[in-house]
Amino acid sequence: MRDDPRSEPLTDPDPIPPETQSQEQKLQTMLSALWDRSRHTVVERAALLQEAGALLTGNRLDEATRQSAVDSAHKLAGVLGTFGLPQGTELAREAEIFFGRSTPPDKKEIEQIQVLLAELARLVERGPLGP
Amino acid sequence: MTRRILIIDDEDDIRQVAAMSLETVAGWDVLLANSGKQGIERASADQPEAILLDVMMPEMDGPTTLLKLKANRSTAHIPVLLLTAKVQGPDQRRFAEMGVAAILFKPFDPLTLAKQISAALGWSDEG
Repeated sequence: MRDDPRSEPLTDPDPIPPETQSQEQKLQTMLSALWDRSRHTVVERAALLQEAGALLTGNRLDEATRQSAVDSAHKLAGVLGTFGLPQGTELAREAEIFFGRSTPPDKKEIEQIQVLLAELARLVERGPLGP
Repeated sequence: MTRRILIIDDEDDIRQVAAMSLETVAGWDVLLANSGKQGIERASADQPEAILLDVMMPEMDGPTTLLKLKANRSTAHIPVLLLTAKVQGPDQRRFAEMGVAAILFKPFDPLTLAKQISAALGWSDEG
């Protein structure tokens, strides 16, 4: 699964056998259908992370919401790359580490994680087949 | 050769992607369980050739499930591959000491998951 097919070389030095190509196409079709079914949950998790990030301003994030954020980030990190969103996995991993740490973030770190979470939300909203 | 593998994961998405991957790409039979408890029951009853086990699950997590599988005479011989999104070294050492056959990392590539499992278990008849 690739993010940008335009970056592929014109001539593949190690071509995929025809039977594997058809398996890949079949798998991609099935993955697309599964993404359509899973999208709602994934978008909800990204939204929960954004809400948790917003609560950091003014120190309003409670322990239960922080733990939910860790869990949501962990789940997103585990699945987004499989759906063809490796950047989403990287962003979710950063969020998992951020919300899982014991030291309180400073103002600059809060601003940085809010930007990251907004990017993550945009990515999952767009989906693996988006422009 | 048709292999039979049990996937234990509380995440519906992961179970479905892994199952469609192993069925479509490798032609394996896939059994599914959504919790450690259900997984132990299925492993004992259906005797899969390998188990793909998620680490982070509610109620009974992957390491606890692994210990129970290894303590049960009817499932102790089944190789278990842990599936984890965490990559820390201390975790890997702990899992190895618990008798895990291999550790696979999320996110996985659905096109090569069967190859990864085959390579980890020395199944030379696949991919």
